[in-house]
Amino acid sequence: MDNKRKYVIPGDLVTTGPFRPEQNVLLEGNKIISTSIGISEIYDDSVRVIPLTGKYIPKINDLVIAKVLSHTSLSWELDINSCYVGFLPAQDVFGRDFSAHADELTSKLKTGDLVAARIANFDRTRDPLLTISDRDLGKIDSGALVQISPSKVPRLIGKRGTMIQTIEIATNAAITIGQNGWVVVSCESTEGLLKAKKAIQMVDEKAHIANLTDQVKEMLESESES
Amino acid sequence: MASHSVIDELKKTQILELLDQEKRVDGRALDEPREISIETNAVPKANGSAKVRLGDTEVLCGVKIQPDRPFPDMGDKGIFICTAELLPLSHPSVETGPPQPHVIELARVVDRGIRESHMIDLSQLVIEKGKSVVGVFSDIVVIDYDGNLFDACSYAATAALLTSTTPKWTMVDDKPTIVNGEEIPLPTTTIPVSVTMGKIGNHIIVDPNGDEWDSMDARITITTNSDGNICALQKGGNDGFTQEEVVQCGEISVRVGAKIREKLKEAQQGSR
Amino acid sequence: MGGRDATMVLLDENGIRCDGRKIDETRKIMIKAGVLKNADGSAYIEFGDNKILVGIFGPRDVHPKHMSDTDTGILRVRYHMEPFSVSERKNPAPSRREIEISKVIKEALEPAVILEKFPRTAVDVFIEVFQADGGSRCAALSAASVALADAGIPMRDMVAACASGKVADTIVLDVNNEEDQAGQADMPIGYMPNLKKITLLQLDGILTPEEYKKCVEVGVNGCKIVYELQKKALTDKYFGNGSD
Repeated sequence: MDNKRKYVIPGDLVTTGPFRPEQNVLLEGNKIISTSIGISEIYDDSVRVIPLTGKYIPKINDLVIAKVLSHTSLSWELDINSCYVGFLPAQDVFGRDFSAHADELTSKLKTGDLVAARIANFDRTRDPLLTISDRDLGKIDSGALVQISPSKVPRLIGKRGTMIQTIEIATNAAITIGQNGWVVVSCESTEGLLKAKKAIQMVDEKAHIANLTDQVKEMLESESES
Repeated sequence: MASHSVIDELKKTQILELLDQEKRVDGRALDEPREISIETNAVPKANGSAKVRLGDTEVLCGVKIQPDRPFPDMGDKGIFICTAELLPLSHPSVETGPPQPHVIELARVVDRGIRESHMIDLSQLVIEKGKSVVGVFSDIVVIDYDGNLFDACSYAATAALLTSTTPKWTMVDDKPTIVNGEEIPLPTTTIPVSVTMGKIGNHIIVDPNGDEWDSMDARITITTNSDGNICALQKGGNDGFTQEEVVQCGEISVRVGAKIREKLKEAQQGSR
Repeated sequence: MGGRDATMVLLDENGIRCDGRKIDETRKIMIKAGVLKNADGSAYIEFGDNKILVGIFGPRDVHPKHMSDTDTGILRVRYHMEPFSVSERKNPAPSRREIEISKVIKEALEPAVILEKFPRTAVDVFIEVFQADGGSRCAALSAASVALADAGIPMRDMVAACASGKVADTIVLDVNNEEDQAGQADMPIGYMPNLKKITLLQLDGILTPEEYKKCVEVGVNGCKIVYELQKKALTDKYFGNGSD
């Protein structure tokens, strides 16, 4: 690890001087302090900390995996593994002609169903609004849910998708990664499924390690021989 | 428990599909409990204590022994009281406040197993008949939840009681006063062991984990004593059992309970 | 605690205390981060004979809704003792002492946490005392701070806590149970070590102005010792070498 990157916890001094504070840091006089457990990065004139723990904060356009918790006659409430519960209006699923009298929400989605959704809208004043009306979105009918820390999603994807491709190719699994840390793995073979799950959990546990892609590769290869 | 927790449908389907092949999500046999670990004397200041892990369910029981007034109609017997609390840190759905019915049921089922097996010889816990007796308070707290609290709490309470020691009291000036000297083990007569079984479809599984618990149609908790006799029982859940199933559950509880009893004996001997 | 030995020597001629410590020494302290499966963050601390577990949930939806704040997340703290944590079985209902301690711990953590980014949510801090000894509020506060960091709650600084006090006319660090009961003063301190700010301060007992100054100084030094152990607990969990 070079001098610019270091492990920090809340309160730790990241650097001093005329830097621009970005994510998970705080300017205190001329000191830049970390507000999270993570890895600090200084590049050009800005400073940030990549967190290693924390809840998912919704961002507009994010793909998330969501679980239906309940419904009213007009919308569903979904667990998006966040500080806030997401809601999905019935119109989004039934279309503009939705009628609260004629259409039964449970005919489309019921409690416990998993869906791939996008954050359509979210700000400080209201709970995240979800949409499933796009290609590749909607109810998930097969596969297994793996839960990782949302802060480790970028690591699971890897630089230009290298990590996730490595796992998919080695296991023949199809993996859908929600930005909220919920990941759906589907695979024809049980062995591939288990191996893919194991690799994802490994990334979750060892996200701070520098040569993680190599370690994951090694695990995937050694397991396939045995 | 965990009334707010919703199991995802994919997992529920998977649990059912595997059971049809006589398999379980975590690879156990249908009549196989999860790994049990028992740490006695986890709270040295208590008269007895045990932290029990049953898979990822973790509970702690502390026993306090102190003089008390007897119940009016039971002046020749000591007192045994068992409580249980789901600590709010054990699961996001747990709320603080007065105990919910399912937590009260939990404490009563654990209490019943210990009481009805006559595990504690309460007749030996009398300081002065009708006036002062020894009270045994067994308080159980749930630290982390992953299904089957009945058995985890029952093993913790039993292990804590088996390793409890008590001072001796005598009446001085009409007040119970500790007799100086060594503490003696709490007088016990048998080791009750509960075995909780869930019914999913027409399968009976022992020691359901959290996901299995949320997928269950009905459950039954059967407590047996050291003689291999059945001494307490509780059926729960919104479905029923056939007569054959109930008999089958009785057999399982004796057989599986015997193995778990050995672990409790080991924990008792290990603490001495 | 009845039957205390009246002849107990709190501080001998060599400056050694009743439990064998020197005047500036803490009891044995062990902190572990991330010990619970379901909680968003957690920590376990053993501080002398204190055994305390802290679990964090949040930021999450606030129930009841009317407690929520549209401008910021809120912090809620519950300090709770198990019935078997003290010599005589404690009634399970919350005592006035537990309610007060919950409040002072909450106010000690407030200056550290940054919840403005999470309007309408709550962060719940659940503190469970399995075994109580002198200084349980300091131990609880130190563990709560580690648990909050483990949960990823943004914080300006950690909060480390330790008590100082006056025993046998001497200012000492980390007052134990016996010293608390037979000693002359007990001063729990909570401290943000980087921002150098005291966020919890209480005192039971009489001190001269000079002793008061010394007591704060000794206590703050104790907080710095605790802070190093908090750092170690988090480093062990998050930055372990990864070989396993």
